[in-house]
Amino acid sequence: MKIAAIAGSNANHSYNRMLLEFMARHFSDDDIDVIDIRQVPMFNENYKGKIPEVVADIDRRVSSADAVIIASPEYNHSITSALKSVVEWLSYEVHPLEDKPVMIIGASTHEQGSSRSQVQLRDILISPGVNAYIFQNEEFFMSDAANIIDKDGNITNEMTISFLEKCVREFKHYAKAINQMVAEKKEADK
Amino acid sequence: MKILALVGTNAKFSYNRILLRYMKKHFRQMADIEIQEIDKLPAFSVDTPLSEQTEVWKLKQKVKTADGIIFSTPEYDHGIPAALKSTVEWLSYHTNVLKHKPTMVVGVSYGRQASARSQVQMRQILMSPDCDTNLLPGNEVLIGNASHSFSKDGRLVNDQMRDNLEECFTHFVEYIQVFEKVNKEGLDMSVKQPTISEAYINFPTGRLTLKEVQQIFSTIPFELDLIDSTDHFAWYSDKPNREHVRNVASLGETVQECHPPKAVPVVMKIINSFRNGEQDVVTRPLWMNGHRSLIQYYALRDVNGHYLGTIEFTGSVEYILNLFENGAWSTDGNTGASKHEDSADNQVAEESVDASTGASESNDNDDTTTPSTTVTAPVSTTETESTDATTGASDSGSVDANDEEADATTGASEN
Repeated sequence: MKIAAIAGSNANHSYNRMLLEFMARHFSDDDIDVIDIRQVPMFNENYKGKIPEVVADIDRRVSSADAVIIASPEYNHSITSALKSVVEWLSYEVHPLEDKPVMIIGASTHEQGSSRSQVQLRDILISPGVNAYIFQNEEFFMSDAANIIDKDGNITNEMTISFLEKCVREFKHYAKAINQMVAEKKEADK
Repeated sequence: MKILALVGTNAKFSYNRILLRYMKKHFRQMADIEIQEIDKLPAFSVDTPLSEQTEVWKLKQKVKTADGIIFSTPEYDHGIPAALKSTVEWLSYHTNVLKHKPTMVVGVSYGRQASARSQVQMRQILMSPDCDTNLLPGNEVLIGNASHSFSKDGRLVNDQMRDNLEECFTHFVEYIQVFEKVNKEGLDMSVKQPTISEAYINFPTGRLTLKEVQQIFSTIPFELDLIDSTDHFAWYSDKPNREHVRNVASLGETVQECHPPKAVPVVMKIINSFRNGEQDVVTRPLWMNGHRSLIQYYALRDVNGHYLGTIEFTGSVEYILNLFENGAWSTDGNTGASKHEDSADNQVAEESVDASTGASESNDNDDTTTPSTTVTAPVSTTETESTDATTGASDSGSVDANDEEADATTGASEN
């Protein structure tokens, strides 16, 4: 399955980006395209009618994917402004997340493992401007990321890997079902 | 009462900006509301170099001195705009300027929901441990249907909404006053009285009461600031008409926090050279507030040479230079300083001027306390960088002596 994976941090060192890069290597049967948002400028509605090239690139990569995974850090009990800015760009002149199956995951060096920002991101992604379908059978929160992801970006805990595999497996079923339903809906609306 | 009101978007047109402008005017007898735009701030990133954080630093200074903060938020995708979130991230990263700051959330939107969801999110963020503000509970200002609620000239014309806004803002002002009262009664230090005023210190050279110590610092014609050994701004001498205007709100801040970002590398270089024992003094003669001044940084050490901190000495030398230029130290003995010596001997005249310590006894360049030596001591960058090693009065990356005049006047400069 072709999956666009958005790393929700603009920090040079990010466990969330490392987590997605690990997934891209680990799930070699799938085509996981890790999207780096470091170059995305702050969203500004003064851009009316046009979008920056780096946003257009993300738009193309998300649009052509069968499903989307977003890895969200947590700043101040909330998602990063960098990730919020990307979601705003993708719900303004272009709407590639509309009807797209999305799985939210997250890593954090603390105990909560980004749980609060994940709840918030879910609420943002189902808003009418975004209109994504959010996978909710499993929740993947990685706490203590600094000890679970090693220097080479590999997950060192076998239980974490097998749970991640389960999440991705379940999500792919969900994504297939959603995509089929969306296709049928579009067919019926014609 | 000084209230900072943040426009929660970087958009050119915003009803949230219109609401704040209306509040500024409508409540002008209750409070001084300053409207703050956020579109000049860089997008938050932990990797943003300090040199690009000048706007962030300026905002932090304003937040620090405000009695309360109002956040006016639109709603983008059920949440606050990324630009506003970015601003809050700046205000809660490696700083505690928001800690215990009274805050209020308001918002306007075109639809009927009136930014209700983003306001809930904003409140959650302001209560998170990294922000830890004293958020005004309840008092929801939800202004929907913006294009009808406001007149074309920006007045809130919906009576019900205006009554609610007045009530909520009055509660906010009362809320701020409650915290001010608590601070005055117990927590804050008094600027004018040293604590334990009856105590005294026995120096090897005599005894001073704390009151005398305090008043000596207020009386001597120069000012002192202290960065302690852990690089925190620990103390400044209280004196009317200071060259560098300091604020007690800056006490306890790190060197990085209390200086303009561009000055930080130079300041740290000086402090580290003191800590490492590479040098003991850096001297900068410059123009400040329209007159010639001298700034000197000294390594503060205990009797064993162990580093205790950095002192910044600032004084106007205009009076001394005028004396000099008018021949006060000339050999004809026409001034009070050398009158009683009735002598052509420079050495004697000099000693008589230095009545208390004899520090200038030697006229020899080996003595590091004489100006002729210390002027050559500064690290190479001090000529081109504006540095104010204690709290950072100035902000420009390169200055000559005349630029400094405009810049060094107040801690808030740059405006």
